[in-house]
Amino acid sequence: MDLEFESYGSGTYIETASGNKVSRQSVLCGSQNIILNGKSVVQSNCIIRGDLASVRIGRHCVIRKDSVIRPPFKKFARGAAFFPCMIGDHVYIGEGSVVNAAQIGSYVHIGKNCVIGKRCSLKDCCQIADNSVLPPDTVVPSFFVFGGTPAKPIGELPESTQYLMTDATKQFYKRFQAN
Amino acid sequence: MAYSTRKASENVNIHVAADSLVCESATIVGHVTIGSRTIVHPRAKIIAKDGPIIIGEGNLIEEKASIINKNPPGVDGSSPLIIGKQNVFEIGSEFEGKEMGDNNVIEAKAKVSPLTTISNGCIIGALCEVNNCEKLENRTVIYGESCTRRKMAEDPPSQQQQSDFLKKILPNYHHFIKPKMKSST
Repeated sequence: MDLEFESYGSGTYIETASGNKVSRQSVLCGSQNIILNGKSVVQSNCIIRGDLASVRIGRHCVIRKDSVIRPPFKKFARGAAFFPCMIGDHVYIGEGSVVNAAQIGSYVHIGKNCVIGKRCSLKDCCQIADNSVLPPDTVVPSFFVFGGTPAKPIGELPESTQYLMTDATKQFYKRFQAN
Repeated sequence: MAYSTRKASENVNIHVAADSLVCESATIVGHVTIGSRTIVHPRAKIIAKDGPIIIGEGNLIEEKASIINKNPPGVDGSSPLIIGKQNVFEIGSEFEGKEMGDNNVIEAKAKVSPLTTISNGCIIGALCEVNNCEKLENRTVIYGESCTRRKMAEDPPSQQQQSDFLKKILPNYHHFIKPKMKSST
């Protein structure tokens, strides 16, 4: 699996101590509740809503432009609240996607322009095709490709997906340098 | 379209009701009236290009949602865009019609063209586009890849709990446009 490589104008991205590269044009609301575990890339015009609930993003994640990560709203027996959003390591989120999921495992590839519905749960090593819509509360099992509106299984992934995603995201981070 | 990046609080043509929450980083251009208990998230866009926009009570406008008062092709002049009560505009949705009733939901990344008007209780599903010159009947649901339609038996669930929760936590993280004191009549 190959992701397109990019570079950025120097000064347009902030590099944190743990190696995260966050665009200055992205909006991180409630940044004290957002945890980026290290070497992740957040490109321009992304919106991460840490003000609603905590958002935890793993290592070597790539969040492309115009994406929105927003914790889902859940009604409990005693009232309702926004539920924390946990994203695993080596996750790739394509351009323009809206992620409302409660939990995304590791080694997940989310395509462009997707809508991941509220409270969805994406297990490790799955893939969401471009332009798909996952209805709320969908559980996507490991090693499956989901696509369409509403998203249904459209394919399977090889057992080496974990290593493919690890390589792809690590290479992306390595090549994502300032001009 | 590039709109000025002036802060919304510098736009003197906004009338914000007393208990609504309109984030300052929302882009609000032109004559806009926002009703009480409405919540406008950061990075929402409300652009009154071809006439004023009047938004009712209890609406929820999420980030990247855009409400644009744009004339349908071939129509000139300015006319208001009226939005009723308790509507939800999810992330990335676009509403360019002239009128919307109550209790509707426009899901993520859905688009409504300038020719369409929506009555009450409708749901426009995620990534769907409505382009026809028509008035959608009450409780119409548009969903799926080919934008199939069906009717619902009841209105969409109310967002009251979410609005209440947002009223409590959003003030901790965002600045809001201060409501203007309207002279009483």
